[in-house]
Amino acid sequence: MIEVSGLTKQYDSRTVVDDVSFVLEPGTVTGFLGPNGAGKSTTLRMMTGLVPATAGSTRIDGRPYDALANPAAVVGTLLDASAVHPGRTGRTHLRLMAATIGVPAARADEVLELVGLTPAAGRRIGGYSLGMRQRLGIAGALLADPPVLVFDEPANGLDPEGIRWMRDLLRGHAARGGTVLLSSHLLGEVESTVDRLLVIGTGRIVADGPVSDLLGSEGTAVHAADPAALTAALETAGFHVQHGADGALVVPGAEPGEVGVVAAAGGHVLTDLRPVRRGIEDLFFQLTA
Amino acid sequence: MTTASASALALAPVSTTVRPPVRAGAPSPAALVAIEVRKSLSTRSGRSLAVASMLLAPAATAIVAGASDESLGSVVGPLGVMGMLTGLVLLSLGVLSTAGEWTHRTVQTTYLLVPRRGRVLAAKTVAVALIGAVAAAVAVALTAAVLAGMVDGASWDGAGRAVGVFVAAGAVFAVTGAGVGAALANTPAALTSLYLVILGVLPVVRTFKPEVGSKLDPAEAVLALSQGQAQTQSVLVLTGWVVVALVAGAVVTRRRAVA
Repeated sequence: MIEVSGLTKQYDSRTVVDDVSFVLEPGTVTGFLGPNGAGKSTTLRMMTGLVPATAGSTRIDGRPYDALANPAAVVGTLLDASAVHPGRTGRTHLRLMAATIGVPAARADEVLELVGLTPAAGRRIGGYSLGMRQRLGIAGALLADPPVLVFDEPANGLDPEGIRWMRDLLRGHAARGGTVLLSSHLLGEVESTVDRLLVIGTGRIVADGPVSDLLGSEGTAVHAADPAALTAALETAGFHVQHGADGALVVPGAEPGEVGVVAAAGGHVLTDLRPVRRGIEDLFFQLTA
Repeated sequence: MTTASASALALAPVSTTVRPPVRAGAPSPAALVAIEVRKSLSTRSGRSLAVASMLLAPAATAIVAGASDESLGSVVGPLGVMGMLTGLVLLSLGVLSTAGEWTHRTVQTTYLLVPRRGRVLAAKTVAVALIGAVAAAVAVALTAAVLAGMVDGASWDGAGRAVGVFVAAGAVFAVTGAGVGAALANTPAALTSLYLVILGVLPVVRTFKPEVGSKLDPAEAVLALSQGQAQTQSVLVLTGWVVVALVAGAVVTRRRAVA
C-alpha cells in the first residue's frame, strides 16, 4: 500500500505541489490526471525520493522510498523514458539495471521480449524512437516484476497498439493484486484503463473518486422532429430542458431511456437520442474554476 | 524509419510475465563498484578515454624518442611527464562517470534503483580509482617498454618510484574528476573548469608566484613526486584535490533534485 500525505513542494514563493494526499490500494489502477504543469511529475518524483519534499511524506509498505532496501523490487517506476544513455544498447541498459536490482541477467532479454524490443536489443538507444524508449522504460520497470507500478505519461509516443497493450498489462497487473498509478494529461488515454481518478490542478488534488462518479452520464441530448412539442412533454413529465447547439434538446440528469419513454408516450418522432458525457476538460474547468 | 521498424516490433502477450528471483536486500558495495565499472566502460566515450589513457603515453614517448637526437640521462623524467599526461586523460573519465549521469539524466534510473546517493558516489569513486590505476598501469608498462626499446644508455635509477607515482596519479586524477563532476553535475562545465584551472590558471600562477603555484598544482605535484622531490607537499596537494573534490561532490549529490 502507498500512502501519500501532505506532500508539498515550494520553489521560493511558488507552490508547485500543495498538500497532496492519497492512498493507493492493491488491486487498483489509479489515473493521476491533470494538465501539463499541474504538479504530476513533481509529485511522483517526491514520492520516489528524486526531489526533496518541502513538507509531507510518502510511505510505501510503511517506509519512505529511500528506506527500502531494494526499491525497484517493490516499485517499478517509469518517469522519463528519454533519461537513458544514448550510447548504450537497449540490452546493456537493462542488464546494468538487472545487476543493480539483483535479478538474473537473462531477465533483461525476457522483458525485452515482453515489450517487443528483442529485434532492437543490440542497437544503440540513440537510434530508438520515442515509442521504443517508452517501451524500454516499461521493460526496465518490469525487471523485478514489482507489486507496484508508477508510470508517468507512459502513453507518450506509443502507437494505438502499444497503448492497448499497456492497458492490458496494467489491468492484468491490478488483477493479480498489484497497485498501479499512471499519470496522463489526456483522459482518453487512461479512461478505459483506470478504476479511479485522482485529478490534480495547479498543485492541488481537485477530485478523487471512481471514474464513473466523476465522469458519469450527465444527461441526455435529443433531437426531435418537433422540438417544441417534445420540450412541453418533457417539462410536463418533470424534466428540465435546455436548448443546446444545433437544435438539440439537453435534459440534465436524465437517462436516454427516460427521455425515450416520454417521447414514446406522446408519439414524438426522435431523430437522435444519446447520453451526454462530461469531458475531462469540462470537469477540469469546473473543478478548478 | 525507426518509427516504422518500431511498429513492426511485436508485443508479447502480457500474461507471459513470470516473477523472477529477486535479491532481497540492497546491492553489496562490491557489486555496486562492479556495476559502476561496467557503466563507465559501456559507453563509447568511456571506452575511448580508457583506451586513450593507455595508449597516449607510450605513443607520445615513441614519437619524442624517435624525433630526439639528444641522449636521455634518466627515464624518470619522461615517466613523470607521461604519468601526468595520462592522469589528465583519466580526469575526463572520472568526470563522465558522475557529471555524465546528470548530463544524460541517467541519474534518474541510478537513484531510483539505489536511493542512498552516498553509496553510489562511494562506488563511483572506487570504480574510477580502479579503472584509473589499471589504465595507468598498462600505460606505464607500455611506456617503459618503449623507453627500454628506443633509448640506449639512460639511467633507470628511481624508475620504480616513478612507475608507482604514474599508477597512483591515474587513480588520483580519475577520482578528482569524479568528485568535481559530481559537484558541478554537468559534463561540459566540469571538463572546462578542470582543464582551465590545471592547464591555464595554475601555470600562470606558477610563472608569477611559483611558491603559491607549487602548493596548488596537481600536475606539478605528480612531476615532483616521480622525481622524489617535495614529497610531503606533493602528497598533500594531491590529497587536497581529492578531498575537496569528493566533499563538494558529496554535498551536492546529497540534496540535488533529479529533474
